Amino acid sequence: MKRLLALSAFVASAALHAALPAVEGFSHVKSLGGIDEFRLDANGLQVLLMPDHSAPVLTFMVTYRVGSRNEVTGTTGATHLLEHLMFKGTPNHNREQGNNVDQLLERTGALYNATTWLDRTNYYQTLGSEHLATVVAMEADRMRNLYLKEEDRRPEMTVVRNEFERGENSPFQALIKEIYQAAFVAHPYHHSTIGHRSDIENVSIEKLRAFYDTFYWPDNATVSVIGDFQPAEALALIKQHYGPIPKAAKPIEEIYTSEPEQLGPRRVTVKRAGQLGVVAVGFKNSAALHADWVPTQILADILTDGTNSRLYRALTDKGLTTNVSPYNGPFRDPSLCIIFAALAPGATHEQVEKALLEEIERVKTDGVTQEEVDGAIAKQLTQLAFDRDGSFAIAGQLNEHIAMGDWQNFVQIGDKFKAVTTAHVQSVANKYFNVDQSTTGWFVPILPGAPKAAAAK
Amino acid sequence: MKKFTLLLSALVAVATVSAGQIANNIQRVRLNGIDVIAYKTGVKDVVYLRGSLPAGDDKAPADNSMVPTLVGGMLSRGTLSHTKSEITAMLDAVGASLSFSVNSAMVEFNAKCLAKDVPLVLSLLGEQLREPAFTEEEFSRLKQQTLGGLKRALESTDFRATDTFTRTVYGAGHPNRNATIDERIAALDSATLDNLKAFHAAHYGPAYLTVVAAGDLDVASLQAAVTKSFAGWSGGTPRLVAVKNSATDDAKEQTVFMADKTSVNIVIGQATGMKYTDADAIALRTGTAILGSGFTGRLMANVRDKEGLTYDIGAGVANDMFADGEWKITATFAPALLDKGIASAKRQLTNWYENGVTAKELEHRKDNLVGSFKVGLATTDGLAQNLLVAIHRGKELTWLDEYPQVVNSLSLEQVNGVIKKHLNPDEMFLIKAGTVPEAAK
Repeated sequence: MKRLLALSAFVASAALHAALPAVEGFSHVKSLGGIDEFRLDANGLQVLLMPDHSAPVLTFMVTYRVGSRNEVTGTTGATHLLEHLMFKGTPNHNREQGNNVDQLLERTGALYNATTWLDRTNYYQTLGSEHLATVVAMEADRMRNLYLKEEDRRPEMTVVRNEFERGENSPFQALIKEIYQAAFVAHPYHHSTIGHRSDIENVSIEKLRAFYDTFYWPDNATVSVIGDFQPAEALALIKQHYGPIPKAAKPIEEIYTSEPEQLGPRRVTVKRAGQLGVVAVGFKNSAALHADWVPTQILADILTDGTNSRLYRALTDKGLTTNVSPYNGPFRDPSLCIIFAALAPGATHEQVEKALLEEIERVKTDGVTQEEVDGAIAKQLTQLAFDRDGSFAIAGQLNEHIAMGDWQNFVQIGDKFKAVTTAHVQSVANKYFNVDQSTTGWFVPILPGAPKAAAAK
Repeated sequence: MKKFTLLLSALVAVATVSAGQIANNIQRVRLNGIDVIAYKTGVKDVVYLRGSLPAGDDKAPADNSMVPTLVGGMLSRGTLSHTKSEITAMLDAVGASLSFSVNSAMVEFNAKCLAKDVPLVLSLLGEQLREPAFTEEEFSRLKQQTLGGLKRALESTDFRATDTFTRTVYGAGHPNRNATIDERIAALDSATLDNLKAFHAAHYGPAYLTVVAAGDLDVASLQAAVTKSFAGWSGGTPRLVAVKNSATDDAKEQTVFMADKTSVNIVIGQATGMKYTDADAIALRTGTAILGSGFTGRLMANVRDKEGLTYDIGAGVANDMFADGEWKITATFAPALLDKGIASAKRQLTNWYENGVTAKELEHRKDNLVGSFKVGLATTDGLAQNLLVAIHRGKELTWLDEYPQVVNSLSLEQVNGVIKKHLNPDEMFLIKAGTVPEAAK
């Protein structure tokens, strides 16, 4: 335990940096935990460099501060659809020339893709370090030069629609969507990142173009380079390819919609073909950078992580569930901490929900033990160490902290975990895990052959 | 200043490997019969442990296919020395994890911990493998949770398609042929603790146990911990020689109808009769990658990118590690686009089979395979996993160094020749699982 703490403290305190590269046109902003932040003076592009030469690979990643929270009715899913269209080519990189994104990257053996979530969209490549110049040029090119053709949108729409359909196949995922939609009535976390089917099908190429022209600018992006590269060389390449791109012509508007206070419990039910039920209780949590988020994560771990957790003992060991799991949404704005309980054969939703809420009440009343907090912290700290196994893993973590609003949280979160006390955990349990701020979802399976009406409760 | 940077980069460092270096950096010894493979990497303070022994489903007693899986499930539920709760508490206190899984041939373990905790984790591993408590209470819980897992599997179109596929391409007795869910539930119901204890006594032992460790290792300390943790243990049985597949006479097209599904999973394929160690294996995998791997594979480039019929489609060779395996295309389609999607996939398959791959495609794919192999070895966990996979595949550990050269030496004639030699689209099976339109009528 002490070794863990010492290591974590070291990471947090390693705010020093060796011989910062001096490349004209960049301002050094800060350095922390082995990461140097620069800003490209010409257009405000944020650049994070984390060199490490222990393997001859690197990860190059661009994070755009746009996600499904930036969408409104009619454009739900647009961020994600646009992410797909980002692979469709530019005048400089396209299939006809044999150098579109896929053609360029697959030949190198790169691990590459893009992802979209509530607060951000990211594009990443992990590949041999000799290919850095290639990916910088390609990513900079598609920031502003995307074709965005209707003839590309049409077939890609059906691709995305099948992605939507695959998600809908899972009763579990369908339940999560319903819970978020009930829990958020004003804030755009209401709708899922994949969007509504009708919006996926009907959003026009003009609206996607408007989305691209609003958000895909250097001053709304962060470029991260992690792994085997020379910082001065990387900065020079970034300046060469991103430097000519102007900053956004208009300031990018901040989301100002906040969720009104929830004044009572909400419930949703999904009934469809299936075998076993699920109970999920979502409590409004804090934003990820708020001081309460980390103690809430420790609370969720104490409740559900491992066979010694409170709910595993109260539900799974007693034959009511096959497993329990947490999901503490780590987002820019307050979202949900959801406790999932997968029903065991023979158990009822009522039994499971009652037992789950009783355990939460016990924490609120009696608190948790020091041993429980220490164990949860130890697991989180060790996981942080494993999350640094390679540039790709680091990029994945760093990306989420950029999306939350401060990349430094990637370095600081270890210290935040270390500081959690039993009092914090009890406090956040009382502050957030209240039925009046909850949205409870039941998946009620309809067994093969059973009429839907008969299965209804 | 520099020292800080070096230390920090060590903390986040990954495996330092490059072509030709892997085998030379491995320290491999046999301790009490156990094959212990250690690879010290540049990573700071963390260690990944992986390993296996041959006590998988292929050794199930004739009257109960679930016994090996249930024995594997009981390993983490308490030992003669510690309860489940005590073991969890010891691991939790240091943030370590240790889990077990069972496949067609092996029970495998997967652990990660800080370097200082390797002796503790190996001690618990030894205890769990050697002396599981086999209590009635935990057995009852495991049965119920396993039943829940089997029932939930019935909700997945992906599982239902691939599960059915195994029973159409593999004949009775082949290790890659899955029992039906109903058969598994019946076996689960009838399994007894005595069945489990007998299986454990017969097949668990050090003789064929492999332990792979990678990371910030003190190799001498690792070897001492293995010696101590498994001292005095004996037994173990070798891997079975898998029976060759015998073809089934099942219908070439089958539908698993599932209500309320918005996407259908399909599998098109056949058994290959080949293991990974067979002479043609890498050539077939390389040719197949040209058809169905990544976004530039012909299937994704055409069925997805050009025609927009699916989110995901691919082709691959699978389940050839322990026995002769299979070749298949997998994809998902909306019910309304199902027929069109299958027709498109078959068009690509036919063209690929009839006309072969081009020299340019082969050249690009070689670069891709060698490059992605290098990326895959750039993490400590990836290295540990690849070492164990090489052993399971029956390869020498030099294989990880030799692979790029083997791929690069493939000729166009070789690749196109093995496609024709081992595959036959006319004999392939087609499985659909989901709310299939014609089945719903």
